Amino acid sequence: MNRIITLTLPGELVFARFASETAAKAALMLINNCNADAGNWKFTHAFELAVSEAFTNTVAYAQQLSSPQPVSIDFIFESRRLTVTIRDTNAPFSTETPAPEIDSYPERGYGLLLIRAVMDTVTCVRENGANIISMSKQL
Amino acid sequence: MTISETPKGRVTIVSVIGTLDASTTKELLKSPAIIDPAQTVVIDLEKLDFLDSSGLGALIGTLRKKREAGAETLISCMNDRIRRVFEITNAHRIFHVFDDTAAAVDHATHRISRI
Repeated sequence: MNRIITLTLPGELVFARFASETAAKAALMLINNCNADAGNWKFTHAFELAVSEAFTNTVAYAQQLSSPQPVSIDFIFESRRLTVTIRDTNAPFSTETPAPEIDSYPERGYGLLLIRAVMDTVTCVRENGANIISMSKQL
Repeated sequence: MTISETPKGRVTIVSVIGTLDASTTKELLKSPAIIDPAQTVVIDLEKLDFLDSSGLGALIGTLRKKREAGAETLISCMNDRIRRVFEITNAHRIFHVFDDTAAAVDHATHRISRI
């Protein structure tokens, strides 16, 4: 049976670390529940990093608004899989940005590249006025 | 996040401790050795627990500005979590990366003395 924990945070940058640390703890909880190797740092780091990137991206777009909306994060626990879904009702954001060329020293544009690299599956949709990014990884 | 600067001759070691993400990069960018484009720095990441793309962007921006001014930005003591971010983005290709801070300082000092 799946278990879902929902966290709602203000759409403010200061809460990015809270979101990413919570994601790391959720990943560690799955590891512990599965009696898997507690030293599986890549699994916990993947969620810590991906949620930091997704939350920061969401909030960056929200800052263009006069009243940024809250950000909702679902942690969905399956037997050996964790899925994190981040939902907000701020302005639509682009997911078609090409990967940056490191040789030209770009300072931005690495977020989605990192998320896709550390997660098994990533989906980004705009649905009923909400941005929804879903990130999933098997233990 | 905590930042400390330690001058070593003509090189400054900038130690970054804690988290380097969108909410903390401003602190790094206010550090005097980072602000000065002509100051060569070794950025010691031994005690950096977490780095995301915002933090990486600040490091890349620092590298670019210093190279334009003829100075260098070297990186030392990355742990596995930080190295993972560098390798995914290929950032390890544009920085001089060292396992040891003293070796990075020696390298930078040698380069400066040849100029």
